[in-house]
Amino acid sequence: MENKSKRYPPRWANRFLEWYCNPPLLDEIQGDAFELYYREAKMSKRKADLKFIWNVFRFLRWRNIRKQKPHYINYSTGMLQNIFKVAVRNFFRQPGHSLLNVMGLAVSFLAAFLIGLWVFHETSYDRFHYDPEKIFKVMSHVDGNGAIETYPAARANINLTTISDVTEKAVVISGTRWPNELCFRPDGKTNECIYLFGIFAEQPFFSIFNFPIIKGNKNPLANPTNIAISESMAVKLYGDTDPLGKTLKIDDHFPVTIASIFKDVPSNSSLQFEFVVPTQVFARMRGLSDDYFSKDFQTVYFKTSTDIMSEALTAKLNNPSILTEDLKKDKVSYSAFPFVNERLRGEFTNGKNSGGRIQYVNLFVLIAVLVVAMAVINFINLSTARASNRSKEIGIRKVIGAQRNGVVMQFVGESFLVVVIALVIASLSTQLLLPAFNSLIGETLSVTLLNPSILVWLGAFALVVALAAGLYPAWVMSAFQPAKVLKGNTVTASTGAQHLRKVLLVVQVSVSVGIIIFTGVLFEQLSFIREKNLGLDSQNILHIEPTYKIMQRYDALKAELLTHPQIKSVTATASDPVDLTVQTTGVSWPGMPEGMNAAFKILGANYEVGETFGLQLIDGRFMGAKPGDTLNTEVVVSESALIKMDLKDPIGTHIKIGDSHCVIIGIVKDFHTGSLKQEQLPTIIYAHPILQCSRLYVKYEAGTTQEAIATIQETYKRLEPAFTMKYDFVDEAFDTMYKTENTASSMLVFFTSIALLIAVIGVVGLATYNVLKRKKEIGLKRVFGATVWQILGNLSKEFVLLIAFAALLAIPVAWYGAGQWLSGFAYRINMPWWIFVVTLFGITIITVVLITLQGLKTIRTNPTETLRSE
Amino acid sequence: MKGNYLGELEELILLTVGILHPNAYGVAVMDELDVRAGRSLNISAVHSVLTRLEGKGFLKSKMSDPTEERGGRRKRIFLLTGAGKRALEEAQVLRTEMYNRIPRVALQVIGVGSK
Repeated sequence: MENKSKRYPPRWANRFLEWYCNPPLLDEIQGDAFELYYREAKMSKRKADLKFIWNVFRFLRWRNIRKQKPHYINYSTGMLQNIFKVAVRNFFRQPGHSLLNVMGLAVSFLAAFLIGLWVFHETSYDRFHYDPEKIFKVMSHVDGNGAIETYPAARANINLTTISDVTEKAVVISGTRWPNELCFRPDGKTNECIYLFGIFAEQPFFSIFNFPIIKGNKNPLANPTNIAISESMAVKLYGDTDPLGKTLKIDDHFPVTIASIFKDVPSNSSLQFEFVVPTQVFARMRGLSDDYFSKDFQTVYFKTSTDIMSEALTAKLNNPSILTEDLKKDKVSYSAFPFVNERLRGEFTNGKNSGGRIQYVNLFVLIAVLVVAMAVINFINLSTARASNRSKEIGIRKVIGAQRNGVVMQFVGESFLVVVIALVIASLSTQLLLPAFNSLIGETLSVTLLNPSILVWLGAFALVVALAAGLYPAWVMSAFQPAKVLKGNTVTASTGAQHLRKVLLVVQVSVSVGIIIFTGVLFEQLSFIREKNLGLDSQNILHIEPTYKIMQRYDALKAELLTHPQIKSVTATASDPVDLTVQTTGVSWPGMPEGMNAAFKILGANYEVGETFGLQLIDGRFMGAKPGDTLNTEVVVSESALIKMDLKDPIGTHIKIGDSHCVIIGIVKDFHTGSLKQEQLPTIIYAHPILQCSRLYVKYEAGTTQEAIATIQETYKRLEPAFTMKYDFVDEAFDTMYKTENTASSMLVFFTSIALLIAVIGVVGLATYNVLKRKKEIGLKRVFGATVWQILGNLSKEFVLLIAFAALLAIPVAWYGAGQWLSGFAYRINMPWWIFVVTLFGITIITVVLITLQGLKTIRTNPTETLRSE
Repeated sequence: MKGNYLGELEELILLTVGILHPNAYGVAVMDELDVRAGRSLNISAVHSVLTRLEGKGFLKSKMSDPTEERGGRRKRIFLLTGAGKRALEEAQVLRTEMYNRIPRVALQVIGVGSK
């Protein structure tokens, strides 16, 4: 034969043949195929390749396929004992590494568990009702010249009987202030107030929603003088005595009979309340006739009996019999909102449902998956790196007769053991850390560990992770050939495996970098919100919910408060300036274009509002103690309102708000009247009689909070002895507007640290291993005179390059993701590029430091020790 | 003879195995068939016929020594059994007998035989 250049047929085809072919037939079949190949390859290698592949597939006949012999891996108990012993010994041979492995997994499991609990809690909201998908809320959309505003309200007397799918409807009035938060006097104590939240609802409420009544009347709202209270409320007011049949006074005025007691509302309910009162009481408290009330806009829920979708319901709702002419004229339309979406998908932008909290849920699920994946990658990396340590053992096992599958099973079993240990550690830590986590995010998550279904889930989880993490290293290790290995040739991992390790490390680092950058941007945006000049002061202002009596004595209260040096100013308003929700389109001014429907936010206030909130006057003046104009209501307009109205000489101009005649006396600089996630609407402040104001604000000297509160409470008590003062802080209320974002950012910081930790573990593990393997090389270099730093540089260069590459991969992705999130804010920061740079540098420096720490010891060892040949 | 009728391809392959004796194996049979009868079959088809014939008892096989040219793999050498030889003979006899029964006239039309 002439010299055969070692042409070889396509490896994969050959391997495929070897895999499926029945071993006794392999020689002849493969031999023939190879013979034909060599013959053909003399002329054209490509043709030969193609023919070879063709032949491999043509040989794929039933007769030639290997018969599956049962692969029983018979392990005697002695064998199992040995395997177990060996596993344990191996674990302790390199305790640092093994511990690193276990802790990496445990930490990632912990993160996954916590996130899992949170996600489970969030997605379980409102699902405890009967047929939750059949409950809907009516939303109103108002087209206000371009922007569509959405409100969770509809006409109270909305007539849904024309829609056959609807079984019942109920108006539910909830809120956070009067009249939903009321003073209740505990039994026997007439001067004490316990403030409790509740709702007003129409009779079908308890059949639409599943709030089980445990004692008393099953249909309490049928009687307009009944009240239903929760278990805890009963205890708070009556202790152990049975409250059924007793009388409570709503607002110290309207007597109601306790007709039923219901089970405490669970934490995963969007509707939270401690008592339910019929809507008729509400009407009377507000001094509205039943007729007037029925035309008022309130929150309306309804239940369907069929599986009709929300789109179809929306169409039906806009039928003229329901959406009356006058509403249509005001550019109002209705839509049906599924109640199950309330918690996670409750946001509306410009009239369209635009998700909401769900984006955070998705974000955190993603993070959980990433974190576990990273830990698994770490595990794989460390295991394959350590594979060569076990090579002699594997060689011996194979010689004695272990089948390849048996070896694979052994190592997968070891991985499973490690995973189970990590799982146990993670479960215990979850229990321990849960209270701290709860306070971090302000929730009440709980888990009962011994729940059988949870154990099943955990078991399945452990199996999946063990397989994912253990299979590849086991496969690599079981491939060691006894002949090579027992001769003492150190098995270096194939270049394929080494590349894989590098790829995995890059993936890990880029994920960590991405998460860090994203968290950084989040943080910046949130601080921006907090510190942004809102145009009004929110610090050091106390908000009091006054009683009618106090408002009658407003002047006396104010005079008395101002005698104290810590009190700076006092004012009263009808609505909350920081979170102003009152708006109207009924504003008209001279020169207003025909048919224009502009929305303005309006704030009714007492004259000191400018001073208390630090509003900046541009022109004119604020309202004075005595109105200068007795016929017209004095108003102060904001800059943007002025621009909207396009008035040349605003001061003194007469405008109309609804039916009231007003005169502009001043122009104020724009101030934020809501969350920075929304665009601002122009604002008008109008003079409002004190007795109609429901909010008191007291500004006090910074740093004197304690004394100020004491003083205010004392003064209040003197003027209003029957009621405990109800107050809160304006800046706290302001923060709650961003509760979702704040929770998300706390969680993000927490989980970012975990991700970072895992990435660090990965780098450390790999670096240590790398250094150890190159012991001899390092020793040699030292002999030839390399300095410690030169070697260090050499070692770290490879890693630093990898890390830098990973970071560069992560940057565009993080940029895009952060940009998307930021676009949800109407007022936002520019992308802080410095975060990207800092992260990049930080990661590089950390890596170098770690490698240095690990490498220094090995590098410093005396070369005579490392170069000793065994 | 009981139901063991020989297909045309099977007969050809049996003949080839006889010709190539004692080196009849997959590739050789395939090549010989191609050269002599102009039939180019895929190697796997040849294998399957050979195996079938062995199953019917007309051939027996044994493994040869490993050869260098096949990367150390062995060949499966096929040999005619007694039954195989008989089958070939019978088939040959049958052909000749039936051919001799064709009347001159028919053959003339086909254009065979003397003018």
